[in-house]
Amino acid sequence: MNGLKIMSREEWQAFVDKLINEDARQVVGPRSKGEKFVFDQLDSADELRLDHDVTILPPKKYFLPTHEDLMTYDLKHPFNVKGTQEVEPRVIIGMHPYDIKALLQMDKIYLGDNVDTNYKARRDNTLIIASDILTVSENSFAASMDSITVGTGFDLLVTVLGDKVAVQVGSEAGQELLAKYGNATDASQDVQGQVDALRNALPSKYSKKAPSPDQWTDLLSKHQENGVWDENSKKCLECGSCTMVCPTCYCYDVDDVSSLDLKEGARMRTWDGCLLREFTLIGSGEIFREDVKERYKHRFYRKGMHLPKRYGDVACVGCGRCVSACLPDIADPSQLMDKLSQSPSDVAKHLEIPKQSVTTPVEGNLLVPEPATIRSVETLTDHEKLFVIELDSGKPLGHSPGQFVEVSIFGIGEAPISVSSAPGGNTFEMVVRKVGDVTEKLHGMKSGDKVGIRGPFGHGFNTGAMKGKNVLFICGGLGIVPARSLINFVIEHRMEYGQVMILYGCKEPSEFLFKTDSANWMAREDIQHITTVDTCREEDAGAWDGEVGLITTIMPLVTFNPEQTIAVVVGPPVMYKFVIRDLKNMGVPDDNIMVSLERRMKCGVGKCGHCQMNGVYVCKEGPVFTYKDIKDLPEAI
Amino acid sequence: MGNVNINLHHVTRVEGHGNIVLNATDGTIEKCQWQVPEAPRLFEAFVRGKPYHMLSHITSRICGICSIGHSLASLKATEAAMGVEISEQTELLRKLAIHAENLQSHILHVGYLVAPDLLGVGSVIPLVGSHPDEVLKIVKLHRISNEMSDLTCGRTTHPISLDVGGFTAVPTEKQLKEMKQKLVDAIPDTKDVAGVVLANAGKLPNFTRETEYIGLVHDDEYALYDGDIGSTDTGRHPVSEYLDITNEFVVPHSTAKHTRHERDSYMVGALARFNLNADKLTPIGKEVAQLFGLKPINYNPYMNNVAQVVEFADSIAVSIDIIDKLLERGVKKEEYKVKVKAGRGISGVEVPRGILFHDYTINEKGICTKANCIIPTNQNHRNIQLDMEALAPTIIDKPQNEIELTLEMLVRAYDPCISCSTHYLDIKFK
Amino acid sequence: MKPRVAFFDFGCCEGCQLQIANLEEDILKLLDIVEVVSFREVMKEHSDEYDIAFIEGSIERPMDEEALKEIRENAKILVALGACACIGGVNKLRGEWSVEEVRKEVYEIADPKDIEGNPYFDLLPNAKAADEVVKVDAYIPGCPIDRAEFGRVVTSVALGKTPKLPRYPICVECKKNENVCLFEQGKFCLGPITRAGCNSACPNHNSPCEGCRGYLDEPRLEAAKDVIEKYGFTLEEMLKAFNMFNFKKEGY
Repeated sequence: MNGLKIMSREEWQAFVDKLINEDARQVVGPRSKGEKFVFDQLDSADELRLDHDVTILPPKKYFLPTHEDLMTYDLKHPFNVKGTQEVEPRVIIGMHPYDIKALLQMDKIYLGDNVDTNYKARRDNTLIIASDILTVSENSFAASMDSITVGTGFDLLVTVLGDKVAVQVGSEAGQELLAKYGNATDASQDVQGQVDALRNALPSKYSKKAPSPDQWTDLLSKHQENGVWDENSKKCLECGSCTMVCPTCYCYDVDDVSSLDLKEGARMRTWDGCLLREFTLIGSGEIFREDVKERYKHRFYRKGMHLPKRYGDVACVGCGRCVSACLPDIADPSQLMDKLSQSPSDVAKHLEIPKQSVTTPVEGNLLVPEPATIRSVETLTDHEKLFVIELDSGKPLGHSPGQFVEVSIFGIGEAPISVSSAPGGNTFEMVVRKVGDVTEKLHGMKSGDKVGIRGPFGHGFNTGAMKGKNVLFICGGLGIVPARSLINFVIEHRMEYGQVMILYGCKEPSEFLFKTDSANWMAREDIQHITTVDTCREEDAGAWDGEVGLITTIMPLVTFNPEQTIAVVVGPPVMYKFVIRDLKNMGVPDDNIMVSLERRMKCGVGKCGHCQMNGVYVCKEGPVFTYKDIKDLPEAI
Repeated sequence: MGNVNINLHHVTRVEGHGNIVLNATDGTIEKCQWQVPEAPRLFEAFVRGKPYHMLSHITSRICGICSIGHSLASLKATEAAMGVEISEQTELLRKLAIHAENLQSHILHVGYLVAPDLLGVGSVIPLVGSHPDEVLKIVKLHRISNEMSDLTCGRTTHPISLDVGGFTAVPTEKQLKEMKQKLVDAIPDTKDVAGVVLANAGKLPNFTRETEYIGLVHDDEYALYDGDIGSTDTGRHPVSEYLDITNEFVVPHSTAKHTRHERDSYMVGALARFNLNADKLTPIGKEVAQLFGLKPINYNPYMNNVAQVVEFADSIAVSIDIIDKLLERGVKKEEYKVKVKAGRGISGVEVPRGILFHDYTINEKGICTKANCIIPTNQNHRNIQLDMEALAPTIIDKPQNEIELTLEMLVRAYDPCISCSTHYLDIKFK
Repeated sequence: MKPRVAFFDFGCCEGCQLQIANLEEDILKLLDIVEVVSFREVMKEHSDEYDIAFIEGSIERPMDEEALKEIRENAKILVALGACACIGGVNKLRGEWSVEEVRKEVYEIADPKDIEGNPYFDLLPNAKAADEVVKVDAYIPGCPIDRAEFGRVVTSVALGKTPKLPRYPICVECKKNENVCLFEQGKFCLGPITRAGCNSACPNHNSPCEGCRGYLDEPRLEAAKDVIEKYGFTLEEMLKAFNMFNFKKEGY
């Protein structure tokens, strides 16, 4: 790579004009919009404002667009889906160091495990000409965040020095571009000195300061109960502005939009934000993070603790966009972290992310479902049906017990459903409760109909860790569904396990699932199977021969050595607290308890953000967790 | 000779609710009425006590089709009351907006509401199957008209960027150039559609009745945005004298008032504008008029449909001219400041259906204390009534369904906007 | 068999029905999936047998209440089209005065015998939204409706999907469109407490949101008060000035 180059202002203007006029790619850069700036198409070099302080939206919009079609579907033909890639080759001029830094952070997420091929295509087709900051935004604290200069992540980096422009080459592509359209000569040492001086003068221009990023995680760990959460969140409008304008935010939602003649449509991705009330809403209507205080708090913890623990960087570059955008003035991370650093602290409580063993890697395009056919449908209860599904490719799903799939019905949407059969064979089973649009539609489908399947996703049951031990299943209601995949797996390998105890409880007899399986378990000598219902009406009492009472009432009916037993607990959220309390009282150690939790799983690969439980992605580190790993997470149980 | 009992409740393919009643026994007409049972909208009540900068937003809700016209009339009246001047750019953009409205409304009326009568069907829906090319052309012209509104003021229905003193946002020169090209490309389709109307114009009855025609007139142009009140009977009058021209009065069978000037009724709308301004048409406007043999003064109310076709073609040409002017002087977002002042302002503006008046009194705090609006369709109701009374005897021998259709077509020819016309007037602030 | 669709209008400007015509070429797509059996503004034919009824306009008089109730009985699905039908819209502004006051002002010059006891002039105390009279199955808000939203709601109903309106404020869309915030331009905007779904139409043209789509289900009015006071106004003052679509006689 060659050293620093130099051009006159005129030569720089000429370079930009030539680039705009002759290059096939779209050329964008900061332009004025009223009294503000935005990245937009440049039609001439005059429009480029390298002296801008900050743009309304960060250039992340070019890599993760506000709206993007992920695939198109044909409603007339049961499975005709085409993945789409919206790529517009571009040259971006004028990206500031803090935005480069944010983009590099985003690369870790979108180009790390489970590569987002759309993001990658845009990244590969964009050339970046960064520029040193000339005007400091009054709301920015980028100096404190170590993001006012950058040494990598660009193809070219320009520094305006009065009547000259210094150009640092960052890649071969940058080198070629410069040679093709520009007229630059090698710069003297002097110029490097001037560039350094400009950069060194920057920090003093920042009136806004923040505690350094390496302190953030610690500060947040010590101020979970600080009054500022209440005080500030009261003023929150829940408008989502802070997350929309943030260069390090990348949560998204996906929806199907069909044409008026119902012939075709597109599955579209759009930006979403964790501050919005329905961010964690699931089909049944439950919202997991409903209180505005929890949502307000979550944003800071995600940026200052969860993401750094996962990827190594504090997810804030101090650009100050959220400070401008927030009308009640509560979004400012510098102000907030400052407040925390000045308040008396509590005992540090770190919210750790469990390191799970590598799950089945997801191959190919993460986003486009593959076709599958319903082989049979069985009605289990008024609300639940069992579907046997076969992938059209003929390949087995390849899941492990406890994993889930995303089931697509084009035009309607996608829903996460646990797999309830043991691995193996080229079909798999799902038990679906009718709660929302997708499940309702599914209930109306029949053998031969097609659905889309993505997955399998998630961290399932660690069957290896259970070998040689007793297994105690405690299943409540729908919890029997994912548990069944493990139960049947254990039964298939019965010799490898000690005692096997299956406790299953549901609300009332009409909701009892898997009657046939239950009868089989009951019949076996090597399984202890006890069932219960919360209540039993007079008219059902005759047919019901299990116990009556909450699931906790049948737990004393089994005896086992707690140290040698793995308890697998799956059920509705309210059940966990009580069952785990009783298991602890029986002496079962924390890391012998496995739970399967539910959240709003959308992408399945830890990117869209909806399933977050504090810093944990339920779709990635879960849905199966060891209790020890999550017992300190405020949002878990 | 027979008995005729027509009680057409809520005429179709018109905006708003109106009834045609015709009873005759042995060829003698006993009752012939154009009734308006539409509920009062009470708009002048709403604007009382509202700040000046909201008036146009509220009054645009009087009508979904002539929102731009109501907004502009409202803005002009407010600006007149408070002594606010607007720039040339603002005036040009407003004219572009008003032409966009005319285009959209006329093509909708002729293409969707009237064409079915000319082609003998109940609505435009069957025409989709029988005349797909023509329907697609009409739809395309309708779309382009709406795109022009979107470009100039944000939306056809309830415009967004029209403001007292200026525009909150303006189109870019690039967008205007693209729009101009669309208009230029639309001329052949316009001529084709005119040809289709011409081919079927024979279905329009040959009925005439002398009446007075009233509309805006201007020395330099076919007046839509600005001008004096013109009358085919009495010549020019300043807009401030509108009350002397309109003279509203109540009739028992109509919740909308009637008006009269020199004669017992007068007509407003495209035909009235044509009769008053024909010499100011652009060459293409004149060409289309000639195609139909339309010459001032034409006393056949059914020719209002044809006048709309003429105006459609004319508006395309005028819009192209306006865009050229704007491109020549360059378009910039202008800053404008409004000084609140007390006063009374009266405006006259042509909307597709005729001349519209807004009259506001604003106090020193910028609050509207009194408002009066006179809607074009109000001014047509009496003319419709008298036309029916003159027409009915001449067709009374025909089969009932034919009489019905002829009377319906008469009402449709006026392109009435009935729900606008039932909204009231003369509210005094206590 | 295609579902049969009927359009009805009450106290309105017919602007929302015009948006159906403004679907332009997409109207043909709509006609592919439904059969329009009644649409007075556009067609002569009428039938009382329909599956989906679209209602535009507010209910102003007892006779209109009766008409709407009858439509509800005939229809399987009833959709409120536009602000007037969804939330009452501008029509509710007359609620500031009593019916007597209004009638006296308006009909002062009319012959009393034409007004007394005439159902056409019998006004309710204030205009009503459709769901103040009958159960509504789906809402398409806005003044006028947004055509893309119309498409989303209609395709949802046709596909058997629950039509979902956004439950977050205009600000989300406004930021995605990269507008300069109206507050930063010294104007008052109802965006933070108004339901999104129009793609921030008015702020896109530098014009403040007037709340035509109705407030959020749980608007953060307390939080909004602080923001407004920061700009030197009280929330009541500003809401009163901007209550075109969300008029409440008792205040907020």
